[in-house]
Amino acid sequence: MTGVGTNRVAIIVDGRAVAADVEPRTLLADFLRDTCGAVAVHIGCGEGTCGACTVALDGIAVRSCLMLAVQADGGTIVTAAGLAALDGPPDAQNLTPLQLAFRAHHALQCGFCTPGILVATALFLRANPHPTRAEIVDHLSGHLCRCTGNVPIIAAIEAAAGATAP
Amino acid sequence: MTRPLRFGTRTPRREDPDLLRGEGKFLADLIPQGALWLTVVRSTDAHAIILGLDAEAAKAMPGVAAIVTAADLPAGLGHLPCVDLIDTSLPVFHPVLAGERIRYAGQPIAAVVASTPAQAEDAAAAVIVATRKLAPVLSAADALRPESPWLYPELGTNAVHVTRQLVGDPDAAFSVAALVVEETVAVHRVGAAPMEMRGCFGEVEPGSGRLVLTSTTQIPQSVRAHLAEILTRPAESILVRAPRLGGGFGLKEAMYPEEVLVLLLAERLGRPVAFLEDRREHFRSAVQAREETIRIRAAFAVDGTATAVDVACLADIGGAYGLVANAPGAAIANARGGYVMPNFRSVATSVVTNKPPLNVYRGAGHPQAVLAMERVMDKAATALGIDRAAIRRHNLIPAWMLPLDRGISYSGLPRQILDSGDYVHAFDMTLEAIGYAAFPARKAAFEAAHPRRKLGLGLSFMVEMTAVGPDEPAEIEVLPDGRVRLHAALTAMGQGIETVLGQVVADTLGIDLDAVEISLADTDRIPFAVGTYASRGGAVGGSAAAKAGKALIEVATDLGADLLGVDRSAVEWSEGAIVRRDGTNEPLPLVELARLAASAGRADALRASVRFAVPDTSFAYGAHAAIVEVDTGTGVVTVLDYAVTHDCGRLGNPMIVDGQIVGGVTQGIGATLYEEIAFDAAGRPLTQGFFDYPIPVAATAPRFHLLHLETPSPHNPLGMKGAGEAGFTGTPAAITNAVADALGQDLPLTRDPGPLSPARIRALLREREVAQAAGFSA
Ligand code: FES
Ligand code: FES
Repeated sequence: MTGVGTNRVAIIVDGRAVAADVEPRTLLADFLRDTCGAVAVHIGCGEGTCGACTVALDGIAVRSCLMLAVQADGGTIVTAAGLAALDGPPDAQNLTPLQLAFRAHHALQCGFCTPGILVATALFLRANPHPTRAEIVDHLSGHLCRCTGNVPIIAAIEAAAGATAP
Repeated sequence: MTRPLRFGTRTPRREDPDLLRGEGKFLADLIPQGALWLTVVRSTDAHAIILGLDAEAAKAMPGVAAIVTAADLPAGLGHLPCVDLIDTSLPVFHPVLAGERIRYAGQPIAAVVASTPAQAEDAAAAVIVATRKLAPVLSAADALRPESPWLYPELGTNAVHVTRQLVGDPDAAFSVAALVVEETVAVHRVGAAPMEMRGCFGEVEPGSGRLVLTSTTQIPQSVRAHLAEILTRPAESILVRAPRLGGGFGLKEAMYPEEVLVLLLAERLGRPVAFLEDRREHFRSAVQAREETIRIRAAFAVDGTATAVDVACLADIGGAYGLVANAPGAAIANARGGYVMPNFRSVATSVVTNKPPLNVYRGAGHPQAVLAMERVMDKAATALGIDRAAIRRHNLIPAWMLPLDRGISYSGLPRQILDSGDYVHAFDMTLEAIGYAAFPARKAAFEAAHPRRKLGLGLSFMVEMTAVGPDEPAEIEVLPDGRVRLHAALTAMGQGIETVLGQVVADTLGIDLDAVEISLADTDRIPFAVGTYASRGGAVGGSAAAKAGKALIEVATDLGADLLGVDRSAVEWSEGAIVRRDGTNEPLPLVELARLAASAGRADALRASVRFAVPDTSFAYGAHAAIVEVDTGTGVVTVLDYAVTHDCGRLGNPMIVDGQIVGGVTQGIGATLYEEIAFDAAGRPLTQGFFDYPIPVAATAPRFHLLHLETPSPHNPLGMKGAGEAGFTGTPAAITNAVADALGQDLPLTRDPGPLSPARIRALLREREVAQAAGFSA
């Protein structure tokens, strides 16, 4: 039953169907975290400036803190927890090639920014499998990382792109 | 031993798989179902008297469970703590909620609890606060003017905390100096701005009634002790846990009002109460850092020998003490850094103003002190016509002088004895790495090709207190499956402590890294410790872990001998198993030993609890160099190359140390060039979020050249010193010196506070042009 002042939202999150009634003002980020249990969606600012909350919505990178849950109704969402859907197949530890490259290059310290960067980067590499360094730097312009100094993140993406080269 | 040691290798981090899958278990991921939500009503005035507060309409709003003001707090509730007070410190403590007077915009006035965050925010917006505005005091210099209002009228001053040091006879040295260099270094206010904001939740433990706080804190054990005082209840009735933090950097080495409020309200309402800060709130309620003005004078002989330094530091600490009364003080006492400078005087004064509290941030006062000293070095070199590198080499403490007692002791900290290293060698390595000798040619070629653009090279040398005491606990136990679990008091915040401690335990016991589990930051397990700060985790936490491992070997070998029914001297520990020295039995592995112990009712014997006493502070040091490009048309400063030679003793995990240095330098670049927490003329914060607090991004990253020396610390068995803060500490000086080199040493880059932003660079260049046109300067 849809209560007064709520809307039904049905989405698929990392392969799992979720449907719930939400207040119209509910942000997609909050809906993903609180209702869908998608804790890989991190909230670093809540206002579109950091990129930590980035998810793939129907194959497009979106900042889930800048969207309402109702806008995503009927959509398919991938978070870092389901990165394999965007990146290559995972290994035994359930890590995809991109995640392994981040680990190998120490491209994460606290790991709070990481899920958003992974999702955005997996989509970026699908669209541009062999980016130049300048393109990688440009791609990262909307993602803030306070720990790593960003250099290792660039290196990890370069390596991941190189590794998937034909 | 055949097993290769983990220590010293680039072991991949154990925390990575969880974090990469988004399963980091940060605070926001742990909030219990059914928790109520706290929103704090904050002052919008910087300085005001509260006349009245009307929460009636707010209380009637949907979902509201409670609204609490200062008047509703329990009688006798304490204030937030300050840990470096001295006899003469004045009482300017931060209340949990403001009672009568508001001292900064953002100060908590009331707590609103409701069923959802949105309901709590709605109700908070409906709380009406009537105030009488007072004139705000917005700089330390203003606060000291005779006509300035007092933030605490009963004290009759805004200068609340003063520390002094004196070594030798600086006045005598100044009186015979060939050259006296004077410089003012105004450092603006910045924030650590970790990507994870602050948060906490309070619960009452069923049965025991203990209060349980889970918080984004670097210092859970200290928070527990402080909570016991604030709440006037026994520490045993309080439990504090810290999950993994999404960055700390000192911002979470503080105590916050919300940590008290969620416990009080959880107890009152019988439900868990949770608080998550938002980013706008963060820039007015989390502690801020660095703001201070340093006046430095140094005496030089004609050959460039620095004979004396006199330094005064005025810190703008905001409306009340943070966890420390004087964040810059300890570093100002250490302002000579790596230079000999036999005569020294310092005074560090903390002044209250109508801004949020000042606290430590990566490097605490060190980066500012290094900046002041290194500006002086460049100015002296220019005045004396000596090469910038040569004057530094000439004054650096030579290796043969170490250890060197600096004759300084700072409140509560041990006497400063620079322990070990080769400063000159590190400095030379950095000169080589940055291409110092070839730089004039590079600069000439570049500037010939780009008439509007200038290149500059800046140098700095830093020494800082790391791996501080007094001690560090650790517990170790064998689990039923034969794996080993280490309990440490430290907090994980991105520095890879789970990996480093795992490496140490695996090596000590001779077992696989995978057979070691690390459990952190739970006061139920380890109630007493000091916390994770001052670059101490790896060195002192690692030493405690090694000590715990050795203790476990002893008890396990004792038990093994007993269970095997042989003499203790007949068996020994080898790679995670008990073996007979004569080789007559199969090794008894830990899993078997655990099973035997359990069936003999002696499972408890397979554990040990230790405390590593830190004999003295280890001083890490490093030589930094930066090459920048400055566009004199736009004023944009771009950092092209950055070199660091750092000595943090033995490297437990070089990959992690490099990460700390690069991350720290990057934060230093941000603070020097981009970031500033600014206020309007009424003291209201202008900084609202990352759109007006630009932190470094991929596009601003320089090329890094990292080198290490590994002089073992004499103060711990692993020979480690701290690495966490070294990157930041040398950076403001190296960048500022590089800009000065590009644009001229006469440009007053540090006279006024604020980042070296394009607008500021253009204004300074314009000011010089006008002065030159008017014939005011050479
Ligand atoms: S949380 Fe969405 S962009 Fe920062
Ligand atoms: S790893 Fe901490 S913010 Fe990026």
